[in-house]
Amino acid sequence: MLFKIAWRNIWRSKLRSIVVIFAIASGLVGGLGASAWMNGMAKQRVKNSFDYQISNIQLHNPNFAINLDVRKTIDSVSQKISEIKKIDGVKAVTERLKISGMASTANKNYGVTIIGVNPKNEKEVFSLYKTIDSVSGNYFDSQFKNEIVISKALAKKLKVKLHSKIILTFQDFNGELTGSAYKIIGLFKTSDSNWDKTNVFVKNANLRKVLNIPINKYHEIDITLNDYEQAPVISKLIIQKFPKILSEDWAKIDPYNSLLNDFMGVMMGVFMLIILGALGFGIVNTMLMVILERTKELGMLMAIGLNKRKLFIVIMLETTMLSLVGAFIGEIISMFLIRYFGIEGIDLSAMQQGLESVGYSAITYPSLEFIRYVQITIMVIVTGIVASIYPALKALKLNPAEALRTV
Amino acid sequence: MSVIKIDNLTKTYNETQVPVHAVNGISLTIEKGEFTAIVGPSGCGKTTLMNMIGGLEIPTSGNVVINGIEISKLKSNELINFRLNNIGFIFQSYNLIPVLTSKENVSFIMQLQNRPKDEIEKRTIQLLQSVGLGDKIDSKPNQMSGGEQQRVAVARALASKPKFVLADEPTANLDSKATTQLLNIMKKLNEEEHITFIFTTHDKRVVDKARRIITLEDGKVISDKEIS
Repeated sequence: MLFKIAWRNIWRSKLRSIVVIFAIASGLVGGLGASAWMNGMAKQRVKNSFDYQISNIQLHNPNFAINLDVRKTIDSVSQKISEIKKIDGVKAVTERLKISGMASTANKNYGVTIIGVNPKNEKEVFSLYKTIDSVSGNYFDSQFKNEIVISKALAKKLKVKLHSKIILTFQDFNGELTGSAYKIIGLFKTSDSNWDKTNVFVKNANLRKVLNIPINKYHEIDITLNDYEQAPVISKLIIQKFPKILSEDWAKIDPYNSLLNDFMGVMMGVFMLIILGALGFGIVNTMLMVILERTKELGMLMAIGLNKRKLFIVIMLETTMLSLVGAFIGEIISMFLIRYFGIEGIDLSAMQQGLESVGYSAITYPSLEFIRYVQITIMVIVTGIVASIYPALKALKLNPAEALRTV
Repeated sequence: MSVIKIDNLTKTYNETQVPVHAVNGISLTIEKGEFTAIVGPSGCGKTTLMNMIGGLEIPTSGNVVINGIEISKLKSNELINFRLNNIGFIFQSYNLIPVLTSKENVSFIMQLQNRPKDEIEKRTIQLLQSVGLGDKIDSKPNQMSGGEQQRVAVARALASKPKFVLADEPTANLDSKATTQLLNIMKKLNEEEHITFIFTTHDKRVVDKARRIITLEDGKVISDKEIS
């Protein structure tokens, strides 16, 4: 019966309750929407980073990372890859040569990282090839002698086009300055324009010849996993297997990604806390009005035998249910909007240049895990309970005789 | 057998600079089955006396003993529980719970007493029928007339099987027809079921039905008459 009274009490002043419910719902839509947007941006950035740049785990010669020293290679790579592929949770593995060099055309030079890839394995680990549309060439599917894939941003910088030639110069395995001409067969574009400008891709076999690097030696092994969260565990396993190799998970390779991941969780918590805190004060205000309006009724309830505990429960239930109705509506609208924009995307092309210069896509796809909705519901219930305490205490202090005298 | 014993009861309000002695040394005994009217001009202390009998206000001095229990010594929650199980209240402005139907208003009291569901259902219907509202069990207060609401309030007051019923100006907001109906119901319940009613009133029609009339003035009993 207490539940029934509390529920029906909400609808006694329909307009006021609707205003409070609308405030809660719109607060949640704003909070959840903004959180989903930020979360989507961060997730996309992390995913892009996995898909195009760093994979989930990278292996290097411990001395290689210091200055990309061409001589600091990992030996017996094919055997190591076979071993790594046997580890549970490993999805795909690829090997890379990686050196610093200079990309030059007749007019321009630009410092780049030259990455030698095995296209077949590379496609299993990275998705860079997917960013090359049909008019922008292909990802090592043609049969030219010296092929190179560069970004559209670098092509613009070097003032070259598809099928143009560029010269790469670099130090070979013996420390001699060397170089070779490459034909551009593909132009890629990721959401990180700075990274795009500084990385070019050639076939391992072509690069190896010019580098004079012995067979089965590589600079980097990239591993992608079924679940990227497992990276620290699997990285440890790899270290146990190959103690002389430096194995780093994505959080260590790019701490910004890891920070971003954690930061978004904290940010969302803070965001919701502020919104719910503000709503809490609104609810307290409304409930104080309710207590004031129903003083006589509360006096009557105490007079006829409703004890303080039950009176507290009635007020707490009313507040919590009011909050939950608002939360429910807010969450439904949020789910719908997040789902809709999660598919359609939010287009911020007007800020494309700025966003891409810091690694974010111009089109973002908001996303929010289901657990977040559960957390928000719990937070709303807690807010409702906390917000009911002060009005309920006010009600408990009423003297029934005095309350009954009020008009 | 006395239900209520009041001994030298006083209530002084010190809210203004001059203390107001709302009740000034009243001693009374109310026996089981009485149908007693407390009358007197406005401000004579009727409601204050009723509130102290009902445990809604604490006396300045003196005591109220109900069924051998001195109620001013009870703690707040004990007092609420005591009221629930021993006293029925009827208020001037009905004071039903507006969001509940008449059936729910009546059964609510019994639910607070944790009575069995079957008993609650049966007694609620029986009480509403006894006050002539068998056809209004699903009506909410705003769907009923003042007289009907007050009859629900009577049914609610009796729901807990109280030792006595306190009614503060129960007919003040009713027209003559509703007043007559209500008085007949209260009188019938008093005569047939020996329920003790104590009510304050200004209404001569109500006073005429009383079997005992206690008249107050300036917080004191100036007359206490049994009507045969």
